[in-house]
Amino acid sequence: MSEFDSLLQGMNLILTPGHIGLMVVGVLLGILVGVLPGLGAPNGVALLLPLTFTMSPVSAIILLSCMYWGALFGGSITSILFNIPGEPSSVATTFDGYPMARDGRAAEALTAAFSSALIGALAGVLLLTFLSTRIAEFAMTFSSPEFFAVYLLAFCTFIGMSKNPPLKTVVAMMIGFAMAAVGMDTVSGNLRLTFDQPALMTGISFEVAVIGLFGIGEILCTVEEGLVFRGEHARITPMVILRTWAKLPRYWFTILRSTLVGCWMGITPGGPTAASFMSYSIARKFSKNRDNFGKGELEGVIAPETADHAAGTSALLPMLTLGIPGSATAAVMLGGLMIWGLHPGPTLFAEQHDFVWGLIASMYLGNVVSLLVVLATVPLFASILRIPFSIIAPIIIMVCAIGAYSVHNSMFDVMLMLGFGALGYLFKKLGYPIAPLVLAAVLGDKAEDAFRQSMLFSDGQLGIFWSNPLVGGLTTAALAMLFWPIISAGIKAAFGWRNRHAIKAKTL
Amino acid sequence: MSNSSHSSSLVGTRWVELGLALFTLVIGVVVMFGSVEQGIGWGDSGPEPGYFPFYIGLLLATASLANGVLTLIRWKPLSISFVSRGEFRQVLSVFIPIALFVCAMPFTGIYLASAVFIAWFMWRDKSRAKPYGKWMIGAVSLGAVLASYLIFDLWFRVPLDAGPLGDMAGSFWRSLK
Repeated sequence: MSEFDSLLQGMNLILTPGHIGLMVVGVLLGILVGVLPGLGAPNGVALLLPLTFTMSPVSAIILLSCMYWGALFGGSITSILFNIPGEPSSVATTFDGYPMARDGRAAEALTAAFSSALIGALAGVLLLTFLSTRIAEFAMTFSSPEFFAVYLLAFCTFIGMSKNPPLKTVVAMMIGFAMAAVGMDTVSGNLRLTFDQPALMTGISFEVAVIGLFGIGEILCTVEEGLVFRGEHARITPMVILRTWAKLPRYWFTILRSTLVGCWMGITPGGPTAASFMSYSIARKFSKNRDNFGKGELEGVIAPETADHAAGTSALLPMLTLGIPGSATAAVMLGGLMIWGLHPGPTLFAEQHDFVWGLIASMYLGNVVSLLVVLATVPLFASILRIPFSIIAPIIIMVCAIGAYSVHNSMFDVMLMLGFGALGYLFKKLGYPIAPLVLAAVLGDKAEDAFRQSMLFSDGQLGIFWSNPLVGGLTTAALAMLFWPIISAGIKAAFGWRNRHAIKAKTL
Repeated sequence: MSNSSHSSSLVGTRWVELGLALFTLVIGVVVMFGSVEQGIGWGDSGPEPGYFPFYIGLLLATASLANGVLTLIRWKPLSISFVSRGEFRQVLSVFIPIALFVCAMPFTGIYLASAVFIAWFMWRDKSRAKPYGKWMIGAVSLGAVLASYLIFDLWFRVPLDAGPLGDMAGSFWRSLK
């Protein structure tokens, strides 16, 4: 069946009043968590997970994915109006978005941000539509060693490409793996690392870790910085929207480039945050209005927003086809899929045709719905941020506590959330990344299974990871990524040496 | 760093770096220890349960040690303040209430603890020119709790622990019906 037929089928499935209502609710909740400090897309999705257990998987994924889009949009509202990034991925939007708002061009900045975000997102979904089946078919030939090599590649890319110190990334990741190992061993049925504590028998849920690390940790950081929300006002009128849209075609090349950056960073586990920063800095380097960047340049809003959303949507491509999430939020969604009894990976496309295409179809519609909803509700959500911190903070904390509790109906999880909150505060301040921890906590068991099965095939010989060109190539690429900082330093040093040599030769 | 006593440094970044590295090192060692208990070798049916986690623990411990060593190497530049006294007081003024809130929950149930927590948080906010009135505090705290009851318990059927008091109120309500 062609992709187009499948997509139409998916559209058919989701075009019901119930599902569209769910989309609007998801987007509204998403904008809310995107706007509120301390709540973001990853823990918004984690908080909502327990509520989806009674839904059908298609409805549940529509709700969660629309929450993700909404959160991505909501993050730009606070960036532009309040100079506070609601999401880490919208930090780059503050550079030019807030100066524009201070100049009284808030509505223009917001419209440009939302519209370019939609273009980026739709590009990401197009990629997903036409590439996913092919990648899934290709991945059908994978067996355990290949899967482990792909996991290894994802994890090594995180270590090598992260802007955090590599050793700290390793520590964060290994804590995630250790968390995943706690509880019942999926192969032997033995209880591992529980030290005879009944509370640890069910394992440590990644949802609790996400809520604590992102939610409570973020609140503590916010308090320390003593943030005061003093924002600019904005009213988006149809006139402003049309005028801004008329300007957008001028930036077609920036949009195209940012989309490519975003899609690439979304598929490889660079994530939306890295994508938006990279896109911004490239735009600044090549723009004609270079000097105006940082003072309120429209291009400086368009570039990061396009890349942010392109990365956010294309992060679902490796998640659906290979079972490897490209961002922290995608990791939480992947965990959700597993809880609903679905197996992310190539078999998903064969076995859960309706689910996959329902999701892809909902991404087209959901992003358009997001744009409409967000344009209409900017003043509402901006006024939510003006609610004093002493009201909003305890409510956020209560929601986090309830969310942690409802994962297993256990008070121990709430305590655990508190511990993760303290850890999250320290991690943020000392430059330990949180996303690899979440990724490892979600994928730990699957990676371990793949590794153990490979070891069974080969009778404990690591050589199996180089036993055919595909798996060998993947493993080698993974190692190259792992040592990328050293390799790139080596290349630079070599070039530097040659250049210096050349200069010396000239001066002689 | 400013000179005023309010923003004087509480602790240098290097100590916190070192402390966290030590903490993760301990976790790594604990994981290795727990894996050895399960067997890290090769059993009858392939790798034993502790096979994989052992190396995770080993990597964690090694990376933590390296982080610690890196901190010691950069001891001088890392002497910058981690957090000032004033800032830390701010953080504690939120963290301690959260800890109390979480610890009270198993005894009071989620609803009562949440209502008291929100009410206390609002009541103590003295930074405002005009403190919140009794009605405002009551409305917000009870409203938030009621909303969470409606959303979680009633609509999505995720029962929240109401605590002994909540259970009593529930059975009273049922008997009244």
